[in-house]
Amino acid sequence: MLDRGSLDRPSARRHDQLGVERLLLIEAQYLDDKAWDAWANLYEPDAVYWVPSWLDEYDLVTDPDTQVSYIYHTSRAQLQERIGRIQSRKSITALPLPRTLHMIANIVVSEHDELTVEARSSWTTHVFDPRTRRQHLHFGTYEHRLVRTAEGYRIARKKIVIMNDCIPTVVDFYSI
Amino acid sequence: MTIHRRLDRLLDDRPSDQAFHVSRDAFTDPEIFELEMKHVFEATWSFVGLETQIPRPHDYVTTFIGRQPVLLVRDGEGRIGCFLNTCRHRGTVVCPFKRGRQKFHVCRYHGWAYDSAGKNITVTDREDGQYPAGFDAADRNLVPVARLDSYRGLIFASLSADVPPLPDYLDGARAFIDLVADQSPVGQLEFVPGDITYTFDANWKLQFENGLDYYHFNSTHSSYVDILAQRVKSGDATGFTSERADEVEGQGSFNFRNGHAVNWSIKRQLRYGRALASDPAGLAEVKARVGDTRLKWMLRQRNLTIFPSLQIIDISSAQLRTWRPLSADKTEMTSHCLAPVGESAAARRFRIRAYEDFFNPSGLATSDDNVMYEFCQTGYAAQAGDTLGHLRGLAPDTGGHGDHARELGIAPVEYAFGKPGFGGETNFHPGYREWRRLLERATGEAANA
Repeated sequence: MLDRGSLDRPSARRHDQLGVERLLLIEAQYLDDKAWDAWANLYEPDAVYWVPSWLDEYDLVTDPDTQVSYIYHTSRAQLQERIGRIQSRKSITALPLPRTLHMIANIVVSEHDELTVEARSSWTTHVFDPRTRRQHLHFGTYEHRLVRTAEGYRIARKKIVIMNDCIPTVVDFYSI
Repeated sequence: MTIHRRLDRLLDDRPSDQAFHVSRDAFTDPEIFELEMKHVFEATWSFVGLETQIPRPHDYVTTFIGRQPVLLVRDGEGRIGCFLNTCRHRGTVVCPFKRGRQKFHVCRYHGWAYDSAGKNITVTDREDGQYPAGFDAADRNLVPVARLDSYRGLIFASLSADVPPLPDYLDGARAFIDLVADQSPVGQLEFVPGDITYTFDANWKLQFENGLDYYHFNSTHSSYVDILAQRVKSGDATGFTSERADEVEGQGSFNFRNGHAVNWSIKRQLRYGRALASDPAGLAEVKARVGDTRLKWMLRQRNLTIFPSLQIIDISSAQLRTWRPLSADKTEMTSHCLAPVGESAAARRFRIRAYEDFFNPSGLATSDDNVMYEFCQTGYAAQAGDTLGHLRGLAPDTGGHGDHARELGIAPVEYAFGKPGFGGETNFHPGYREWRRLLERATGEAANA
């Protein structure tokens, strides 16, 4: 049972709230700095990385095995496959890579157990394509599940909801 | 310049001279775009949905034919109707939702209501309205499309009555719809739930061509080809199949009447597995039901284009995609993961993962295509003369090869086959010929009026 706390009762403090928030912000900076390897290393080897699609105007898909997602990866290796693709300089989506700026706010941390903590947040990513001079904005919510490891918090699961899901041309891990 | 002279300039199609050129203006000219919307998209059969999207009475989905919003709905008797999604009173969109189920559609502006058969059942405050004589006798129902029919559960509608019956229109493309539908033990197709919509800033014909284009695969998708090779090296062989040793490897296409075409490839070494082959029991069931020859074709990559706006790509997964041109240089795509009803949970999971891997703006292959369309659109602004992009396959075919059409029992109007690097482009031609026929028909009518 998640202890999200309430207005008059903070959740039990077994986790370092600032450490959790810091990881979310560091992740965003790694993406904007194109520090891909450092970014991928924030993820556990068996991490779930999930970008669900929308069923209709109101509801997201809930089951990746019977419904379509934008991205559903169940390992860090799959994230590294995506990184390798854009680093290869063979994917036209990365020639040139857009500049991105992630903003994260409204972080609410919920303790799960001794080892696990969850964080829900709101994000926007500004994307500028130097090729076309076009810019657009993706926005939505993140749900992170972090685990405490010897190296600090690592991401065991991340769910990314894209609210404005009529996608201009390309969407990839760096723009959401 | 008259429109006819302009059409001649847009499409230079001289089979006897082995010449075929599409003008860059066909991709960039806003006036051509307006003509296309009215006289192509809104004047012939368009795919509007699957019967399995609206299985129960009063189920509906909304979509577009060209620029025009339509409501596809099953009535209380189970009959499927398709209506212009606009209130007869003041033109308001009657149903603003993507899909749902309701017996009545009530216009939110003044409250006029329609049942699921499109019949107007309420005019709010009719008695107080001081309507003119004859008002009640006039038709106030939702306006139905001119033609509506389905084939293997794929529903098509036309806003013009001047179209052939749907089976004639689809011509040999039917055999290739069958090859997808018959992968289901109950012969039905469905969309895996989850909406994917995206846009690219380029003309719709770039998508039309790309779906028929094997030539681009190794260059545009070289980063994806590397990933596929790496996966094979790592030993994942789920869903891999092989061709018989006596099959000649290569790429081919069939052209059908009314603008449709399909391209296919015969490969000894596949680069990826297939959902159909990922479940041995399911594969055995299909084989017993359809036989070796049709199963062989089901396991070959097939890219089917049904003019003007539908493509069904059956590869590792299956995708059904449609496009809605927004302007000469902007196109909206809708993509669905297409699946046989009744496949195993394991095959479905494989299908979904493979679909996400390849397709959509988030996939490892389609995203490259989308950017490439925009590169083309930018390049088309250069007045550099006709492109040389529709010529592969125009020289007379000298190789004797298989009985590809005969095996399938079809009679395509044109057939091409070549080596694995063939990448034929003559399969684009029927779409362009139908495009010009429809534009000429309309502008000819206008000139004679």
